[in-house]
Amino acid sequence: MMNRDLPLASRLLLREWRAGELRIMLLALVIAVLVSTAISFFTDRLQRGMATRAAEFLGADMRISSREPLPEEYLQEAINNNLQHTDIVDFSSVTSSASEMQLSSIKAVGPGYPLRGEVRTSQQQFGGEQVAAGIPEGGTLWIEPRLLNVLGLAIGDQLEIGYAQLRIAALLTHEPDRAGDFYSLTPRVLMNLDDLQATRVVQPGSRVRYRLLLSGNEADLQAYRQWLEPRLEDHQRLTSVADDNRQIGSALERSNQFLGLASIAAVVLAGVAVALSASRFASRHYDTSALLRCLGASRRRALRLFLIQLLGLGIVATLIGLLLGWLMQWGLVHLLRELLPPDLPQAGIKPLLVGTATGLVGLLGFALPPLLRLGRVSPLRVLRRELTPLPGSAWLIYGLALGGLSLLMWQFTGNLPMTLAVIFGGALAALLLGSLAWALLQASGKRLRNASLAWRLGSGQLLKQPSAAAGQILAFGLILMSMVVIFILRTELLDSWQAQLPEDAPNHFALNILPAEEPAFRQTLADIGARSAPLYPVAPGRLTAINGEAVREHVTKDSPGERAINRDLSLTWAADLAPDNVLRDGQWWDQLPASDGHRVSIEAELADSLGVSLGDQLSFLISGATVEAEVSSVREVNWDNFTPNFYMVFSPGALDGLPSTLLTSFHLPPEQREGLRELTRTFPAMTLLEVEAILQQLREILDQVTLAVEYVLVFVLLAGFTVLFASLQSTLDTRLYEGALLRTLGARRQLLRQANRLEFALLGALAGLLAIVAAELITWLLYRYALDLQWQPHYLLWLLVPLGGALLIGLAGALGTRAVVNQSPMKLINRGA
Amino acid sequence: MSDSVIIARHLSKVVDAPEAKLTILDNVSLEIQRGASVAIVGASGSGKSTLLSLLAGLDLPSHGEVILAGESLGMLDEDQRAALRAEQVGFVFQSFQLLDSLNALENVMLPLELEGRRDAAARARQLLERVGLEHRTSHYPRQLSGGEQQRVAIARAFACEPAILFADEPTGNLDAVTGAHITDLLFELNREQGTTLVMVTHDERLAQRCEHALHLEAGRLKEEQV
Repeated sequence: MMNRDLPLASRLLLREWRAGELRIMLLALVIAVLVSTAISFFTDRLQRGMATRAAEFLGADMRISSREPLPEEYLQEAINNNLQHTDIVDFSSVTSSASEMQLSSIKAVGPGYPLRGEVRTSQQQFGGEQVAAGIPEGGTLWIEPRLLNVLGLAIGDQLEIGYAQLRIAALLTHEPDRAGDFYSLTPRVLMNLDDLQATRVVQPGSRVRYRLLLSGNEADLQAYRQWLEPRLEDHQRLTSVADDNRQIGSALERSNQFLGLASIAAVVLAGVAVALSASRFASRHYDTSALLRCLGASRRRALRLFLIQLLGLGIVATLIGLLLGWLMQWGLVHLLRELLPPDLPQAGIKPLLVGTATGLVGLLGFALPPLLRLGRVSPLRVLRRELTPLPGSAWLIYGLALGGLSLLMWQFTGNLPMTLAVIFGGALAALLLGSLAWALLQASGKRLRNASLAWRLGSGQLLKQPSAAAGQILAFGLILMSMVVIFILRTELLDSWQAQLPEDAPNHFALNILPAEEPAFRQTLADIGARSAPLYPVAPGRLTAINGEAVREHVTKDSPGERAINRDLSLTWAADLAPDNVLRDGQWWDQLPASDGHRVSIEAELADSLGVSLGDQLSFLISGATVEAEVSSVREVNWDNFTPNFYMVFSPGALDGLPSTLLTSFHLPPEQREGLRELTRTFPAMTLLEVEAILQQLREILDQVTLAVEYVLVFVLLAGFTVLFASLQSTLDTRLYEGALLRTLGARRQLLRQANRLEFALLGALAGLLAIVAAELITWLLYRYALDLQWQPHYLLWLLVPLGGALLIGLAGALGTRAVVNQSPMKLINRGA
Repeated sequence: MSDSVIIARHLSKVVDAPEAKLTILDNVSLEIQRGASVAIVGASGSGKSTLLSLLAGLDLPSHGEVILAGESLGMLDEDQRAALRAEQVGFVFQSFQLLDSLNALENVMLPLELEGRRDAAARARQLLERVGLEHRTSHYPRQLSGGEQQRVAIARAFACEPAILFADEPTGNLDAVTGAHITDLLFELNREQGTTLVMVTHDERLAQRCEHALHLEAGRLKEEQV
């Protein structure tokens, strides 16, 4: 039977296409596939591009570090995996000129460094920055400007490191992988790895970090990672873009979540488009089904014929959608080429699969229920046209479709809480508001009896079949909701980024200020026009024991705890809690009863990593003295904001008598950089760190992500409008017919126009109301469970969305029903009959 | 008896109406011989179309039995009845029931294609020629006049050479002159193919052209002439 039906169904499909019956349905399907494919393509490439950009902060896609030279096989396997590679050796050493000495942090780099990002150098102390081609030549080095001052040297002079004399060839103004390390106090020296031997500084037992930088395509990196991870020893550490760098990490994560949500919105739009057009397809084929049955086709055969047609349509639409989506994504990338990272990686195959899955899941899930209705058409309909089949119980199929879509979304975003928030929020809101709309329509029926004719005609369409009207409101509401959610998220995402990096974010850190210099230092800062955070006293020290037990017993490999205890921590004391610190456990000093012992407040992540809680006794070794303190609070710290932050804050007096210096950060507008000269001259012992370059790098990335987010928003909005218009078409048939009938009865065109406008405006307003309620519910769930953002109601949108819905759908409806008022009524009636 | 192609015994059809149960057909019995032409005549609402739908197996009676081409319809399920229709029955409707998305030729081809016949196009063309529409094969229903549409419908009804043709007010939507032409055509084809014709009409003149007429009044047969 099948082999006979396939050609027949194809012929029927082809004939319907020729007659122009299928165009709207095909359009809706194509849009659905196109939107999800294009967004998926675009976000896929963008995410890869952003990861590349973020990789600059590592100088590579992946980095392996160790205190001992890395095994040869690590490198060999990287070469086997087609990865680019270069070596770095990091160590601290005294550098000296003829008269001065300074502990410096030296980085010996191999050819190819950096694999990602760029190094910038200059030939003068302020300005004149250029991108460096390659690494320092053998026998030369690049140094940080402040080292020049300390050692009293100039470019071209010799600098001594260990046994080697190396010539200063340039000033190092920017190294991409400095960001994670900008608290380090010692000035940086960049040298060629080939010269390392000659310095004879690196001996067995010296404190050295060996690093292998790697980059390459995702699959190769992934394969390498899988190979490497089981082989890593305790002292070896693997870092990739995702693991590193808080500032950029959180921005990237958020933007990925946003793009994921945009994809979800696209899937929802696709689903609505398919459901509406399939239901139109079904209702326009009741007659065909009845006739087929009358002509002797069995119920199953008739159904099979329609199913094959729908499937064929789905396949054609999917193919067209995939192609167009791919083209569109190219267009987008082309449009954005100035702003996107260069060498944007090619998209993978995943978007194609996602697009196909969207088309087919959408089609089967949302088209099957109306189609199954076609199978229930009574053949008696050929004699009695009013016999429309009863809707069957479609819960199971819709449930399956929803499940399928959820899986798709999960696949899209890789984020289960987010997917669940959207699905549950959407479903709950739809259920609530669908019933509410239905009840509202029922109730208003009675009230409108005395309204004007235009009102009665307009609302009559909606009231006649409250369930059908509720369905349409739901469909339009879902479309608007997708758009509103994406709009809200975009706005708040951008705000949160703006807040993270305000224009006047501190761009300098000043360390090693002597306590006696504090008043003069404050004055000078004010004189040069800098805005400063408070000055914090700092004493370097180590955490040695927790409740009397050696701290090593408490840490696991690669945990923040391990990293924290392996170096000196900057310890401080303060009377007040820093403004952007939040107490998680315990209380600040002023809330606690007076005590003889010292107290300390610990940062939350570190506390968790060390397993430290309130009441624990911590021992510190500070300048040779042991200090004991009881943990009296645990703080959440915002590390993103470029102000001084501390793992440990002691109660005032705890560190009295121990040597300390002051630390602060301040903002100095780049055009006032000349003031820095005065600062360094007045306070020669002070160490100044410029983070402007890092800030700039961060801002650039955020700008690009922002732009991408804006474009995706525009894309979702456009897709929403298109689906809206296409969907509207599917509700026009009966309206056209009845409008024509009214005109034959003498209704003036003005009246019909008014009735149409009113009807669609009413529909739009209700859909808008539904959309904003659902969007609020979804964003609330999202903020709370997935995005970790503060939620507030969007009062203005409560007004704007229903109003906008009324306007938009009213206009679209008026356009769509132009035929009612302009075409010959006879034509329309003949078509409808 | 063996030559009766349609037998109905004690047919009743009762439906649920808002106020009470409504009896549309009340104890109707009849027999129609192979090759006969029978008109079912009556005023609007007398139950003609309902009787037709029961005889053709499109609907089932509340009581009673229909035997169509030797098969008791009550014993068959919907799909078996469809198979029986495919084999034995053709239809012509008052509202033509052509598919808008198919042109004239394709509309006639449809039952042939459902049967899987390879010569569907040739046979359909031949039938359209027989009804005088050989020049309009690629026109869509909306491009054809009412009379032309009904001629396409007649060609379609005879396409599979049915043993029985049911016609429901075939001239009801047509003017007198066109109606007369259609009637001529219907009877000619009926004669040529030796088909049994069962026609519902309220047009007495049309009924007189049939060999027999059954008069329905409020769901009851007034006079049995078969």
